[in-house]
Amino acid sequence: TNGATNGATNGTHDPEKIITVFDDPNNFNVKHALQHAWTLWFTKPPSGKQDWNELLKEVISFDSVEEFWGIYNNITPASELAQKSDYHLFKKGVRPEWEDPQNKTGGRWAYTFKGGNRANDDVWLHIMLAAIGETLEEDADNEVMGVVVNIRKGFWRVGLWTRTAGQAPKKGAAAAAAAAANAAATTTEGDKEEGKKRLEKIGRRFKSVLQLPEQELVEFSGHADSAHSGSSRAKAKFSV
Amino acid sequence: PKPKPAHLKLETNKRVEPAEPTPGMQALKSARFLEIKEDAKYPDGFKSPNPALNQGGAKLGRAYDRDFLMQFQSVFKEKPTVDWDQKVKDTLGSGDEPGSARTASAR
Repeated sequence: TNGATNGATNGTHDPEKIITVFDDPNNFNVKHALQHAWTLWFTKPPSGKQDWNELLKEVISFDSVEEFWGIYNNITPASELAQKSDYHLFKKGVRPEWEDPQNKTGGRWAYTFKGGNRANDDVWLHIMLAAIGETLEEDADNEVMGVVVNIRKGFWRVGLWTRTAGQAPKKGAAAAAAAAANAAATTTEGDKEEGKKRLEKIGRRFKSVLQLPEQELVEFSGHADSAHSGSSRAKAKFSV
Repeated sequence: PKPKPAHLKLETNKRVEPAEPTPGMQALKSARFLEIKEDAKYPDGFKSPNPALNQGGAKLGRAYDRDFLMQFQSVFKEKPTVDWDQKVKDTLGSGDEPGSARTASAR
């Protein structure tokens, strides 16, 4: 035996033989792990006077490529969602809300498709695949919290939520750094610039997943700014 | 005159068996995670994840490009659970109430 095929030796009952879903979708014995576990959420359009909290529903969590497809192939496509619905695909343990402590100082990249309220299923699928496949950011970035599709009246929108909003570190940390280095201003500005660059790189990858023409802009805004403006249409902090 | 129809006989004592998980569902549940060092060979016509994405760092072997991921779309179609359709209906809406997924007639 040469072990050329997945380390298999002989016989069909070799317990060591690796069987992928491509070999046999009914009898595979290995699956493909994702780097993170993810949770799919759904926002139900209001039909009465419920709180937004009651409309946000956790659908399911998963941590393998195979599980993702089992879900995707058996759930309502984004193109068939009613107005005021959202899908949110977030890292497990993060609620898709500004109020979640892990989102408080974060922000999001977003792009609005105007002139229709029916999502393009391929666009939404490609964004989800980029998120679970870990191709939106570098290892050390640790920025991506989740991705969202919103169906609204006359438009639909996709978003990518990030952990930071390119802000300088918290006052406490900055003050400590200042005391140590005695150069508070430069340190803070340097961090800010670095944060912005990191987010812009992620924004460009998001834009390329969307396959937008170069002149179309995706815009970044901080959640805190959006909350203060009372809507999700806060002035963009930056765009790519 | 027409004869009176016989009484409708309903078998009420027949037990409804809970749905059985399919082989695919069971395979997904019992499968272990492929380890990075195993370097699985895929059947002819299927490609491995782009090695450029997996050259090191924390996500070694756990980064997947779109082409690799898309290969699963037509291969794995199992529902996550036997009661999945009901769960989707309960969570997303049945389509016949306002504020749920679009109804067939709305398409």
